[in-house]
Amino acid sequence: MARRRIDFMGKRNIFFTVSGLLTVAAIAILLIKGLTFGIEFQGGSVITFDATEGISTEDVRSALADAGVEDSENAVIQPDDDGGFIVRIAETDTGVAQQIFEDMATSLGMPEQDANVTTIGPGWGENVTNAAIRALAISLIAILGYISIRFEYKMSVTAVLALVHDALIVLGFYALAGREVTPNMIAALLTILGYSLYDTIVVFHRIRENAMGLTKQRFMDMTNDSINEILMRWINTGLIQIIPVLGLLFFGGETLEDFAFAMAVGLMAGVYSSVGLASPLYAVWKEREPKFQALKKKYADAS
Amino acid sequence: MDSRQRNALSLVVILLLAVGAVVMFWPIQDKITQGLDIQGGLSVILTAQETSTTAVTDEVMDRAELIVRNRVDRLGATEATIQRQGADSILVQLPGVKSAKDALEILGSTGQLEFVDVASINDTTTIAALSTAPDGVELKPGTYTPIMTGEVVTGATIGTDNLGKIEVQVTMDENGSRTWGEYTSTHINQQVAIVLDGVVQSAPVVQGAILGGNTAITGDFTPEEAKKLKTVLETGALPVTLKFSESRVVGPTLGKESLDQGLYAGLVGIAFVVAFMILYYRGLGVLSAVALGLYGIIFFGFLAVLSAMNAFSLTLPGIAGLILTIGVAADTSILIFERLKEEVATGKTYRTAAKSAVRHAISTSIDADVVTLVSAIALYFFAIGPVRGFAFTLMIGIVIDLVVAILFTGVIVRMLAEGPINKTPALYGMKGGDQRG
Repeated sequence: MARRRIDFMGKRNIFFTVSGLLTVAAIAILLIKGLTFGIEFQGGSVITFDATEGISTEDVRSALADAGVEDSENAVIQPDDDGGFIVRIAETDTGVAQQIFEDMATSLGMPEQDANVTTIGPGWGENVTNAAIRALAISLIAILGYISIRFEYKMSVTAVLALVHDALIVLGFYALAGREVTPNMIAALLTILGYSLYDTIVVFHRIRENAMGLTKQRFMDMTNDSINEILMRWINTGLIQIIPVLGLLFFGGETLEDFAFAMAVGLMAGVYSSVGLASPLYAVWKEREPKFQALKKKYADAS
Repeated sequence: MDSRQRNALSLVVILLLAVGAVVMFWPIQDKITQGLDIQGGLSVILTAQETSTTAVTDEVMDRAELIVRNRVDRLGATEATIQRQGADSILVQLPGVKSAKDALEILGSTGQLEFVDVASINDTTTIAALSTAPDGVELKPGTYTPIMTGEVVTGATIGTDNLGKIEVQVTMDENGSRTWGEYTSTHINQQVAIVLDGVVQSAPVVQGAILGGNTAITGDFTPEEAKKLKTVLETGALPVTLKFSESRVVGPTLGKESLDQGLYAGLVGIAFVVAFMILYYRGLGVLSAVALGLYGIIFFGFLAVLSAMNAFSLTLPGIAGLILTIGVAADTSILIFERLKEEVATGKTYRTAAKSAVRHAISTSIDADVVTLVSAIALYFFAIGPVRGFAFTLMIGIVIDLVVAILFTGVIVRMLAEGPINKTPALYGMKGGDQRG
């Protein structure tokens, strides 16, 4: 049966270059622009007003000043998707933030407004960050362990390399877009770790299957065949993963968007890196083993 | 058991699960508890502060929790949940609170333990209530003057009197002993209320003059009651300072809006996934849509069971997790179908191809899912705050996905391969012609 074959492995140097450039760019952006951390990490308050017809950003700002907020000119006031306003201030005292909200509602002429106030105290962010880093470390170690046991350590190392690459790209995008880093974003990042591995595992499963009793082919060619064999699976699973996430991104509203942005970028990076990074890295590494080196010499002209 | 029986059994099990799930979750808005970010309310995290004299230990947290519980009771919030978070924090959730400001004020006040002469209370209804069932009676501020405050307490232990009954022993400092001695000498047979944050915890009667500060409180205490009273008294000796680490006030309108947006996003996602699956995989795509439906039903059934056990509430991050797992669930179907196509292309009969395809695809799925599960578990156990809701639905979703794949999708694919696919391969997105070469 005739099958169109795409020479993924032959183009591995292009992939490596692209990945390398993306990673370097991501790190550079992170270093230069830095990340903007949400109030969950540094303390502060977010007040949301909804259904604020006829009220302008300036009105909100002067209401802030009237409510006694000292640096009201530095407060972030942004309109949200539903014709309301999201106001971010540095206030870390819950009671004061609540009072500010009430004063603002009164001076904006909306006494019936539902209170939507989130306040994060100082120092709490450190807790949240530490917990997230702990979760990240544990999850990485567990994933490395699982793949090492079920497959082999070379697969786990290359898979995790691809994953770090994906995570860096997500962070780079956050810095570039100036999006706020929130605990939700960290959660999404952690999930991407698992998710980006989904495709990698699907490819590795096939490579492992084909590597058994490999005698008539170079390891690199076998890897390429494996990817071609599961090409539709790779494309379709990636597509299906991203559809619901795009749904969240476009229709999900404030909180859900937060998850979706990190996930959308991460999923795309993950789908790419399973074929563009994890697989060729693994194949290059494996070809250094004496057994596959012999095959490489023997079938040097095969492709 | 032959394969036919096994298939039938699998289908019966999955059908029962689905029916049971529907019974559990219908009507859905009543059976699945909504989180605070959806139904509106107040959610705060209070963190105990370490001071130069006290480290935050488990015992300190016991006291902190008691103080918080006491305050929540005072707010009259019946549906409140109080939960430890990490080593030094307590999460309090008060659904549908009317005045967030009042609630915050009460929750954030400094703990105050007082000893009050009941007879001195300037409010007859309160005194009447105290004479019948004193525990939990609230004293109105300004209607009483305490004999002394809890600062005089230096320690509390649980012991037994000479009849073997449980008693709580309190020790006091010099000042306290003096005041207490003077008071008890002149007020024998008077009721003294032990009041924490304005709520009476216990109101024993003075049996005799207590000189030297060592007081024994007797009564028909159960060990739990005694422990509670001991903790109450200790809040006086070692006050715990609680600070708000996080407070979220969500109005009911905003919550409802967010839920609607989330559901809409989810439905759009499902619609596109199903459309793609049916267009690409034809008959098998319809099968995956049914599998997705079963997946959703069982998922909601499970959430309803957890809600009934008070172990779950659906938050916005939870909805994000739920929507994300739509992709996970559909992916499993894709792995099975693609493998089937591939095996058929090598010239196997549909029947043998289906068997091998299901086995291989599910093995791949398990590996891929376990890895996602690992990150979800790490997130659930080690992260703090709302993201745990996300990790939770993700975990459940992955497990239910595997159950549906094994008991339903895989079984139906094998059954279809026995005949229907063979008769009309095109209907199932397969290439026509006899494959049994």
